[in-house]
Amino acid sequence: MATIAYEPRRPNIATANVQLPAVRDYEQVDNEITATLRPSKAWFALLMVAMSCLALGIASWMYQIQQGLGVAGYNPPVMWGVYIISFVFWVGIGHAGTLISAILYLFRAGFRTTIYRCAEAMTVFAVMTAGLFPILHLGRPWKFFWLIPYPNWRLLWPQFKSPLVWDVFAISTYLTISTTFLFVGLIPDIAVLRDREKNPVRKRILAFLSFGWRNTEREWRHFARAYLFLAAVSTPLVLSVHSVVSFDFAMALTPGWHTTIFPPYFVAGAIFSGIGMVFTIIIPVRKYFRLQHFVTLNHLDAAAKLCLTTSLVVGCAYMVEFFIAWYGGVKAEQDYFWNRVFGQWWWAAWIMLTCNMILPLSLFSQKLRRNPSWLWILSITINIGMWFERFVIVVPSLSHEFEPWQWTTYAPTWVDYSILLGSFGWFFMWFLLFVRQFPVIAIAEVKEIVPPRLRHAHAHTPETADDFEPETPGVNF
Amino acid sequence: MRGVLGHFKELDGAVEAITELKQARLGDVTVFTPTPRHEFEVAIAPPPSPVRMYMLFGGLAGCIFGYWIAIWASNYWPLVVGGKAFGSWIPYTIFGFEVFVLIGALSTVAGLFIHSRLPRLTMMVGYDPRFSQGDFGVWVECAPDRAASAAELLRKHGAVEVRSER
Repeated sequence: MATIAYEPRRPNIATANVQLPAVRDYEQVDNEITATLRPSKAWFALLMVAMSCLALGIASWMYQIQQGLGVAGYNPPVMWGVYIISFVFWVGIGHAGTLISAILYLFRAGFRTTIYRCAEAMTVFAVMTAGLFPILHLGRPWKFFWLIPYPNWRLLWPQFKSPLVWDVFAISTYLTISTTFLFVGLIPDIAVLRDREKNPVRKRILAFLSFGWRNTEREWRHFARAYLFLAAVSTPLVLSVHSVVSFDFAMALTPGWHTTIFPPYFVAGAIFSGIGMVFTIIIPVRKYFRLQHFVTLNHLDAAAKLCLTTSLVVGCAYMVEFFIAWYGGVKAEQDYFWNRVFGQWWWAAWIMLTCNMILPLSLFSQKLRRNPSWLWILSITINIGMWFERFVIVVPSLSHEFEPWQWTTYAPTWVDYSILLGSFGWFFMWFLLFVRQFPVIAIAEVKEIVPPRLRHAHAHTPETADDFEPETPGVNF
Repeated sequence: MRGVLGHFKELDGAVEAITELKQARLGDVTVFTPTPRHEFEVAIAPPPSPVRMYMLFGGLAGCIFGYWIAIWASNYWPLVVGGKAFGSWIPYTIFGFEVFVLIGALSTVAGLFIHSRLPRLTMMVGYDPRFSQGDFGVWVECAPDRAASAAELLRKHGAVEVRSER
């Protein structure tokens, strides 16, 4: 009788050369990953905190609707402030999810397997959060749908040459595709939950959400192909979305904005900030649910290298901006950049440079790349630094345009801060609800890494788990 | 639909059973696996998935629609902006691209559902919840006179449980 060789070749998913030595069989994968779905007091407490922040944000928004946008600190010509800054910030956060789930999938980067579900969910909720800010920024938010092209009795259509309409298409497409990508990937895992569920009501809901998925070879074949194509179109999409967001600025003649480097600069910054937020989320999740043997130090190390690379790209973009201002010889540009770094907004610019360029250089140290505590602290500074990057892009330009008599200042008010806090509450509320309902690690993809049970031992079968040292640098990818 | 279901704990046993079932031509074989495995793909040798065509045609339709809606609306409500033509194809490439991705991706998901025969209202015969967890299943759709041969073959390759269903 012929013996079937176990050869983990040409995997359907991005599992190339990644191993989880402490994960021994499929049952362990199911048991340990689905254990994250059990509610706990800490989960309820965090949810309450998130919902309280959200309630504060909603109350502030209602106050703003009643009083007008003036309560948000707008003072001509600085008519873009915290809301547009936060819009760009949250769209940026959303980019890492698609990078990790789609781009790294196409590159067969194995370390994505155990972190991509969190990153994808983060993307969806971050884009949902970002989409609120242009609406919050409207004086009459109930008329936001006027930006959507649809046949109407006024026979009016949006201006398709406006970057704001480009944004509507880009962001709504991105939200739809990210949600689709997340949900399609979840279907096999929902089927696992359905088959383990004892509660009949919950079982019915899960059966509905899994569309009757049965794990047949036929389903997997079409699933793998569809997933590949979704990844293939999500890759240029993720690059296009933040390019389009950058056009909101680059299409204007304002000093500091009218530059061709903006699309790649924004995309790199978005990926950098998104990876920062992935660390902010995945490190506590990993520790709290005791998933260190799924999200190993090797995975964090690889993600930290990606973080370092994008930090260097962003740092390079900052330097190029300064160089172009000097080399271009445009007085208004030179004054603007001087004012940004050494003038009125020096504090914001130096927070940005310190958090985004200087502190991430610590990731050249392998010891620090493999230190989850340091990675988490660094991720918080990256989040702060990237928010200030958008502050430095938006506010100094508007407050220091061509005419000196127009030069002014800007200070966010308590309404701005409350709504910003509310946006974090909104984001984390959805994320916490997600964590409670769906697996935070892709069960089916992890099972593809785990060697299956075999009748006949074979030379190609990987050694036992004890033969690996999971925390040894550079072993697994 | 009637047939025999073999329940396997080991991957290689299931693959060997499928290979032999195909050679013996006892009936159509359906495999249940908790995760996609190329070993099954090799044993079954299925045709390529047509899902790619949904992406191609859906994407093309979306791209055409994206350009069309922008050009049509600009001509319908003619307003010169920045001295550019009403139908400026360069900025409208954004709409062409975004709608290409949107419709192409949604068509791909539609293709996945159509060809996987989803959504499925019932689990139908031959399914066992253990197949989503760690075990493998081989369902042979065959006439009653061949069921005994199929069951024997499944057992020979290590099926821990063999049962007839209809």
